[in-house]
Amino acid sequence: MSSTNKIAILYGSETGNSQDFATILSQKLQRLHFATTLLPLGDFNPNDILKVRYLFILVSTTGQGELPRNANETTIGSKKTLWSLLKKKNLPEGFLNHIQVAFFGLGDSSYPKFNFAVRKLHNRMVNQLGARELFDRLEADEQGMAGSNKGTGSGVEAVYFEYEKKIISLLKEKFPMMKDSQGNKINRTEIDTSLYLEPKSYLKLTGTLTEEKPIVNFVGDESVKFGKVVANNKLTAEDHFQDVRQFIFTNCEEPQKEIEYYPGDTALIYPCNFDHDVDAFLQNQDQWLSIADKPLEFTSGVPTSLQCIGGGIVQPLTLRNLLKYHIDIMSIPRTSFFMKIWQFATDVTRMERGQEQLDDQREKLKEFAYDEDMQELYDYCNRPRRSVFEILDDFLSIRLPWEYCLDYLPLIKPRSYSISSGPCDSNIELTMAVVKYRTILRKVRKGLCTTYLSELLVGDNTLRYKIQNNNLIKKELHDHPMILVGPGVGLAPLLSVIKTDNPVISQNIHLFFGCRFKDKDYLYGDKLEKWNSVGKISLHPVFSRDRENSPDTKYVQDVLWKLGPEMTDLLVNGKAVFFLCGTSGRMPLQVRLTVIEMLKKWGGFTDDESAKEFLKEMEKDGRYIQETW
Amino acid sequence: MSQIGLLLIHPAVTTSPELVVEAKAAAEQNSIKIADQFLINKVNEGSVKLKINTYNVIRYLTPEKREEIKFPKKLIGTLNDALKLGGCLYGLSDVYKIDAVVNGFEIIDEASKEYHWIKKQEIKTVPQAISLKSKSVSTADMGTKKLPSFKKAPLPSFKKAPLPTFKKASPEPKVIKAAVLADDLDDDLEDDEDDGVFSDSTKARYLDINNDDEDESIDEDDLVDGKTGNIAMIVCGKSKTKKKKACKDCTCGIKEEEEAEIDNIRSQQDKVVQFTEDELTEVDFTIDGKKVGGCGSCSLGDAFRCTGCPYLGLPAFKPGEAINLNSISDDL
Repeated sequence: MSSTNKIAILYGSETGNSQDFATILSQKLQRLHFATTLLPLGDFNPNDILKVRYLFILVSTTGQGELPRNANETTIGSKKTLWSLLKKKNLPEGFLNHIQVAFFGLGDSSYPKFNFAVRKLHNRMVNQLGARELFDRLEADEQGMAGSNKGTGSGVEAVYFEYEKKIISLLKEKFPMMKDSQGNKINRTEIDTSLYLEPKSYLKLTGTLTEEKPIVNFVGDESVKFGKVVANNKLTAEDHFQDVRQFIFTNCEEPQKEIEYYPGDTALIYPCNFDHDVDAFLQNQDQWLSIADKPLEFTSGVPTSLQCIGGGIVQPLTLRNLLKYHIDIMSIPRTSFFMKIWQFATDVTRMERGQEQLDDQREKLKEFAYDEDMQELYDYCNRPRRSVFEILDDFLSIRLPWEYCLDYLPLIKPRSYSISSGPCDSNIELTMAVVKYRTILRKVRKGLCTTYLSELLVGDNTLRYKIQNNNLIKKELHDHPMILVGPGVGLAPLLSVIKTDNPVISQNIHLFFGCRFKDKDYLYGDKLEKWNSVGKISLHPVFSRDRENSPDTKYVQDVLWKLGPEMTDLLVNGKAVFFLCGTSGRMPLQVRLTVIEMLKKWGGFTDDESAKEFLKEMEKDGRYIQETW
Repeated sequence: MSQIGLLLIHPAVTTSPELVVEAKAAAEQNSIKIADQFLINKVNEGSVKLKINTYNVIRYLTPEKREEIKFPKKLIGTLNDALKLGGCLYGLSDVYKIDAVVNGFEIIDEASKEYHWIKKQEIKTVPQAISLKSKSVSTADMGTKKLPSFKKAPLPSFKKAPLPTFKKASPEPKVIKAAVLADDLDDDLEDDEDDGVFSDSTKARYLDINNDDEDESIDEDDLVDGKTGNIAMIVCGKSKTKKKKACKDCTCGIKEEEEAEIDNIRSQQDKVVQFTEDELTEVDFTIDGKKVGGCGSCSLGDAFRCTGCPYLGLPAFKPGEAINLNSISDDL
């Protein structure tokens, strides 16, 4: 995406934290009349780097120490990103010497590669390509144990606000004057927070008549496909707490045709809201009702925030369709949402206690928006996982103007799921757990995308998806022995490995699968045991809460340790590939530690250092692969 | 010349009458004549009306700790009305700092004096417009609609809850056009160019590298060596440490704590929602120690409820309205 502003705020965001901070920074700078470009790193047109003079980079780090996907890749089309350009070896030393830069990294020190993404960017851009650093970078730690907030008892937001303060004071000092509408130089002033900043492009009525029930379609992203549901089966027992699904779909247009994908690749799913949720939203904002189905258009093109999500824009463009397909009314809003909407709390007629209550609501919303502590917001929204819709229901004074809804409401983002079917199978199969949990709020919390998928009926042909090729297992490593470790739905991508038949991916596959109970959540238990009995795999199941079937082991790492000599030999002498999948957190760390101990005990490594070094070499060669989420 | 005083009493003080005796004695010493004495909940519900512009001193007596005082905000304006100009209000705290200022009080917080508020001005009833700071700013609909200030009309009590009439329009959000923001530092940066900076055209030729050959790119793993290097530390972190959230596979006990908290809050919810409609209308939100909290905010939704509020986790509701759990329950 092209931009021409001299100040660019670029972010790489996995969960949305960095994006939110970047949005706050952009808002604050705009209120000081600084024109800014706000984009994901991956969608910033690399050619525009020559125009940029001030660059602010906010980036989180994935579990594996890599840049988030939206920093590494474009949403649509070109593969060329700023980062791929900056990594080119032949760039001259001073390539970025026209830029002043400041970095903010967001990480979690419980992961070994803490803030690696920001360090990579920093080292390349500043030390190697000559960008001038405005001030030392800030590294925020979710744990408060490392980085810029080490031992301060402060959260990541305190680090962000430090970053923001430094930037604002530097820019204000450097550019104390600005131009007014007549082009005269005047003192730089700040736009009051009670004024809403109009987005570059927003919605308006087209004035044309709508056709009868036009078919919903999506335009602007050629790479998005429509899928038809072939199967949607529950894999876990009825009385098990978790609902895990086998979900199979084909391409609508060419259901028989092979699709290029390999083990470790993922399907990106674009979910949508349920009609009853959309209706409830419209009832809450009933001033939208009369135009909910009228055709709309953008005043100046599709907003970049919507473009950066991909998947195309819904047609016909109406409020109802936007609410269903693009606006995440069931998501937990962030600070920037409150910054943008607090001034829309204006309706005293819906206030039982009149003006006083209206004032209270305005004040509270503003507090959520501007309190640097973020504690109130955290307690009110994040902890109970309260949705945008529920907030509007609590704050009835809010009357949202529909024209700008794509600017201030969160947008639905696609989610990716590991593919379980064998390579290029036209039946794309997913293994996913339906996300459902409770908080203090009475209504059960549900994951938008997994709930959406779980409710799709066989035959439905409205599923929007893309296939993502991740190139996880290198071709030259096929035929090596494989040690597959995947408790729970971690099994999903491993199934794809095992199903690689033409030719068989490896003659020697060990599968370590773990779950709670043999008769409740032993996903594909029959199939796995059959594969085991015909010698396709060596299966090592373990049940953490099932003493009867798993008397002396609980977790996958326990079984790995039990088979230590054999597995270590495969790793060290057999050049085996070790593929670890599942939820992030403790499991991958425990497995990693177990492997290090195995290398020391049976692999001939005398100390931690040499064992870790060996593991790092394995990673470099693509023999230790971790896919966790 | 003695001053006229008013004593306002939290209902819980009735269990420790010595507080009232002490307050009266102290007033006498300062030659203040306590002319009236009311329970605050009577004032709040409107069964007692305070005289306007009458008192030199108002003292609020409550057993609550200063920082935990819960006081009906809407009464702060009423107290301002009851005071003479320059009159003093004792017994509230900085919890209501904003309401004090908004309602025309000045806060006196000096070591040599007891903490109190002084009535500095009558509350304005004319609306105040939010003024734009820059003349260069043009707004979409500045028009004539203005933000009303806080009304001084006494607000309705819960039980009667008649909607007040408003002469002024609701605040209209103002939108500022994107075009006026376009200050792209055009001129300012011209003289900023260093001699050592390559020209754009020199650099531009590197943009055309259009191959995906990995060999032409550096290995990004070589960019990190695990050392932190120079980073900026934050100067002051004013934020409190957030309550830690349990990990997905928590084993340290936080998960159990969270579960226990949720269970606890839910069982509280179960208790309150068993109230009948009659019971609920009997609830006086201003009296502490009743079935519901004394903050008067229970009906307003979680954003306004206190930490221990039995209604936490339930949607906002109207006072006197029975809560129907069936409509909101959707348990696992």
